[in-house]
Amino acid sequence: MDMFLTLSGGFAALLDWTVLAFMISGFLIGTFFGAMPGLTSVLAIALLLPITYSIDVVPALVMCSSIFMAGMYSGSITATTINIPGAPSSMMTAVEGNQLMRKGFGANALGHAALGSMIGGSLGALLLMAFMPVAAEISLLIRTPGKFSLVLFALAVIVIVDKGNIAKGIVATLLGIMLATVGIDVLQPIPRFNFGTETLVEGIDIMPLVIGAFAVSEVLIQAQSWDGGLSRTLAKAKDLKILRRDFIPPLSEIRAIGFLAYIRSAIIGYGIGILPGAGGSMAAFVSYAVARSGSKKPEEYGKGSREGIAAAESANNAMCGGAFVPMLMFGIPGDPTTAIVLGVLVINGLQPGPRLLENQADLLAPMLASLFISALVLIPLTLWLLGPYFVRIVSIPKGLLYSSIAVVALVGSYVATYSVFQMFLALIFGVLAYFMRRQNYSTVSLLLGFILGPDLEQYLRRSLSLNDGNPMVFLTNPDSLFFLGLTAVAVYLILFRRPRRTA
Amino acid sequence: MRGSGRFLTAGVLLPLFFLLLTVIYTAAAFDIRAQFSGDGEIGPRTIPLLAAVCMYAALLWVIVQELRKPPEDPVADEEAGEGGLLRPLGVTVATAAYILLFAPLGYVISTLLFVAALFAIFQFETRRPLRFVLAAAGVTAVFYGLFAGIFGVRLPGLLGGLL
Repeated sequence: MDMFLTLSGGFAALLDWTVLAFMISGFLIGTFFGAMPGLTSVLAIALLLPITYSIDVVPALVMCSSIFMAGMYSGSITATTINIPGAPSSMMTAVEGNQLMRKGFGANALGHAALGSMIGGSLGALLLMAFMPVAAEISLLIRTPGKFSLVLFALAVIVIVDKGNIAKGIVATLLGIMLATVGIDVLQPIPRFNFGTETLVEGIDIMPLVIGAFAVSEVLIQAQSWDGGLSRTLAKAKDLKILRRDFIPPLSEIRAIGFLAYIRSAIIGYGIGILPGAGGSMAAFVSYAVARSGSKKPEEYGKGSREGIAAAESANNAMCGGAFVPMLMFGIPGDPTTAIVLGVLVINGLQPGPRLLENQADLLAPMLASLFISALVLIPLTLWLLGPYFVRIVSIPKGLLYSSIAVVALVGSYVATYSVFQMFLALIFGVLAYFMRRQNYSTVSLLLGFILGPDLEQYLRRSLSLNDGNPMVFLTNPDSLFFLGLTAVAVYLILFRRPRRTA
Repeated sequence: MRGSGRFLTAGVLLPLFFLLLTVIYTAAAFDIRAQFSGDGEIGPRTIPLLAAVCMYAALLWVIVQELRKPPEDPVADEEAGEGGLLRPLGVTVATAAYILLFAPLGYVISTLLFVAALFAIFQFETRRPLRFVLAAAGVTAVFYGLFAGIFGVRLPGLLGGLL
């Protein structure tokens, strides 16, 4: 109960004008990055990471969560207006929203997307706050062998979730694990892989890896695929007339969708968010498929279904709340955004886990409150204030945009340690990630391998050390056995189970 | 593209590069000496060696997959190939030069030159020199304001702060 009260107290922290300013600016940055095709909220948070060295942890976390929520919602803007999803999670919204746009109901589609995001995002944040104390209690029960199996489960799911590229997923994850072994050993005070240099004794910082893998590589990808095509589409879209009054969905349409449908989609999204590696795209897709299979009007799907938009958007925004659960509880991020938020926590000397919630919940509470307020207040407010200008805002010339991103990324990597070496590392990781992305190696797996690698090693070595080197401890320990079983079930469900054929 | 040519595709070259890295990594792993070791304890070199072994197996899997893949469309290859690589190469060279010049030239001059180079690569306002210069100066000034002004970061001055 105490913890729940502390978490509720996070709302009071948002009344501080500095924190409020960071939340609003984060939301606007997230909206822009989410709406702009090619840019993502992950990139926005990656660029923000160096700035967290200069600001307090509370505004930094508040800003991260508002960027996350805004980025998840705003992909629907370009998805609806020009049929180019600003973020992959808005793919299903593009299918339905753009059909409505063509029929002259673009503003209505944007209104439904915002309403779905608002309800889903708020419910996801509330579920996060409500179950956090329970989850903290549960996580206290997990012992070292169980923690090892949990990390193994997370890494296995992250790799197999991309069914077509499992071998490349394993390579990317192992590369991340190998990079993480550079520096002082996790249990003994000896340097590893420093190749005789002092610079590598402290290991590789997460920041140049994040900046390189997500910002520098994006600039290189855009440099390669640069053409005027998108600029021309956006220039045409500037002429679209969108009126504010049309944003408000009529009550009859909301009733037709049904409030329970919003709740069901939010729960699906939240649940998928908890799974490692699943993310907003899967949440939107699964929720959309469930809504379609149980719909009274299945014939509308693919031709501009408001129900489809509501299902996809509720789920992908509710996913934001779910994604924080494994990261805050176990330090296991399920997606790149929470992985970078984990970086923000670590930079500020905070170690995720039940102890963090017990002892420093006041630092996390504003972040959770920001997630809720961003969904409930800022999504509709931004749509109302900026909706008619959204397409104009995302029409910014790419040359100007990517040059600015490159400057922020490189100067940002200098900021943390005032070291030009970090800038070079960011460039090296950027070039590496560019080639990896071109060949369909997941940079998310690389990052998560880097973050989870030291935990995997530490828990394995500790477990074996405490049990005279007997590996059977992983099978005799109930929580470890549970997670190993869960890994086997996930592998079976994702890789081997054939989809049921429908007539 | 048959025979040795297939080994030179990007799909095979990248895992070969990773293979080289893993060989260096494995050699370095054998140099790790544990400071102490108790009963049943696995040392600091075990996980790196285990990761390296798994990496060899995964890379072999990737290389076999790549060699079994049908040859790619030559038109798509050309689009994404050498012609398409020129701009990313330009960005990489400009970035490396920026990093080298960042401390000696200071933030303002190095960033101005870097942004101008990127504008040229992305062909932004290249036909209107005045706008080109103003935009480059604008980007430099905005991010100086953000980092030095708002976040209080000490950015390098001209000639490493001498001027």
